[in-house]
Amino acid sequence: MTPTRAAFAAILAKDLRAELRTLQSLPAMALFAVTAFVIFRFGLDRTSLSGSLASGVLWATLLFAALLGINRLFVAEREEGGFDAIRLAPIDRGALFAAKAAALLVFLLALELVVVPVFAIFFLDSAAALGPLALVLLLADLGLAATGTLISSMAVHSRARDLLGPLVLLPLVVPLMIAATGASEPLLALHGPDYHRFGTWLAVLCLYDLIFLLIGWAVFDFLLED
Amino acid sequence: MRKERAYLILRDRSMGEVQLFGMGLLPIGAPALPLDEAGKYVAGAYLVFLLLLLVYVGIMAAKLQRMERELRDLASFAEQGRPGTPGREAEDVPVDVEAQPAAVSDRNLTPSEAAAGRPDRVRGSSDV
Amino acid sequence: MYGKGLKPLSIATVVAIAVAFSLVFFYAPLDADQGFIQKIFYLHVPLAITALVGFVIGGVFAIAHLRGGDRRWDAYSYVSIHMSVIFGVAVLITGAIWAKASWGHWWVWDEPTLVSFLIVFLMYATYYPFRYAIEDRDRQARYASVFAIVAGAFVPLNFIAVRLAQSLVHPRVFATANGGLPGSMMLTFLVCLAAVALLWVTLVKLELTAKSASGQLKRLRRALDAPADSGSPRIAPEVS
Repeated sequence: MTPTRAAFAAILAKDLRAELRTLQSLPAMALFAVTAFVIFRFGLDRTSLSGSLASGVLWATLLFAALLGINRLFVAEREEGGFDAIRLAPIDRGALFAAKAAALLVFLLALELVVVPVFAIFFLDSAAALGPLALVLLLADLGLAATGTLISSMAVHSRARDLLGPLVLLPLVVPLMIAATGASEPLLALHGPDYHRFGTWLAVLCLYDLIFLLIGWAVFDFLLED
Repeated sequence: MRKERAYLILRDRSMGEVQLFGMGLLPIGAPALPLDEAGKYVAGAYLVFLLLLLVYVGIMAAKLQRMERELRDLASFAEQGRPGTPGREAEDVPVDVEAQPAAVSDRNLTPSEAAAGRPDRVRGSSDV
Repeated sequence: MYGKGLKPLSIATVVAIAVAFSLVFFYAPLDADQGFIQKIFYLHVPLAITALVGFVIGGVFAIAHLRGGDRRWDAYSYVSIHMSVIFGVAVLITGAIWAKASWGHWWVWDEPTLVSFLIVFLMYATYYPFRYAIEDRDRQARYASVFAIVAGAFVPLNFIAVRLAQSLVHPRVFATANGGLPGSMMLTFLVCLAAVALLWVTLVKLELTAKSASGQLKRLRRALDAPADSGSPRIAPEVS
């Protein structure tokens, strides 16, 4: 294994192990999401959702749950001085970004593994849409992981870190949300999944992911200087 | 097609009048219709632009004013602190034209500036 | 010396704006569809284009800052973004006025360009709290540059996404100002664009000059060992 890949694997493993040991973020994020669904049920006065409403409720909830969890990634790091150790180690900064983003991706996927079935049980009439929806979720999570890692690794050094991360991240993921909901809305249509413009939206998601993964890889160096 | 024809009608007129749809004749070169509903909105938009520009000018003016005050303070500080400055006589704070506005602006001194400013003057004059 | 050339630049800007506005009201023909209301576009669109280009320029300065480490690039980046945000306020207000005049509502979601611009504006509005929350000067400059680059890449993505989301039922209302513009309108538009762009450059230069002057003041203060000015806390990037 080349040093870069070894470093990547090591950091990824560390983050996942740390999360597993403390089990702080994931259950909280999942609980938040499920409670949000209940609030939506009453707020919208609906017991079943389809089309744009379903898409909107699902993605808004996932997004806000993700925002809750994203800062956790770096807060613990900073408090335990983990940054110093990493900064001193002669590893490729891009590998660190990749590892952090991968850890966040795993968290988000784990979150969705719990939340999306609950959503389907609460609001959907059939699970037919869940297959193609998984693809949309994966691509959107990739973008969220890239931008989330980038922004929270900066926000954690600021004074108002709990507020700053979500504040900057929210407008940044608007194109991502537009594409994700654009793809999901026809999928969750009342009479079965519809693939209207599915390819277009997937292309936008891929473009978003590509651009921000590249930018993250390129600039992460500058985020770790003292 | 209709749009192009409308523009052509307006453009092809030679010096003189222009026929606007149901609006009567207007000499070419006059500002169009300032008094109807649409005029208010257009005027509003251009006014907003002007006002924003003026607000910016105002903010810059405030910055300039502050800089002027700072420069004045620094100048008087520099003059007080130098031994053997020509023209600097006894204990009294020189009463000249520059001191008057300076005295007025003393009210705007922050506490630390005021604290730093006053003792210095006293000190400077007793040295000479 | 940032102030050098500011005077001729300002004069050129005043002349350009005078010529531009004269063209708008005395030369450009009346639009057959929208009537007098269309004249707002000669102000609104150049402001929008200038603001967006300004954001991209801010991103370019940010790249230069990260590559070179010279903090002057960071100041240029900050001022470019700052000025573009101010122009952005003007874009949104004039856009709202146009919407009210055309549709009767102060805001419409049907105009994708305006909606995209709102999102871009919201993105760059977070630049200030982001910057000012980072206390270490050096880190603040570096992180702000990263922000400017990320936001710069975000702008085209955002426009693409919003344009695609546009419902095909509602026709694009802004069609008059794109393509198919007759010559006299195009000329007026281009002159307005040049005038607004000149204004942007002049104001950026003015802002940089002011920053430079207060930077020199600080320098003077230090050289004289004068007590520090405990006026307003300076958190914006400085130029010296």
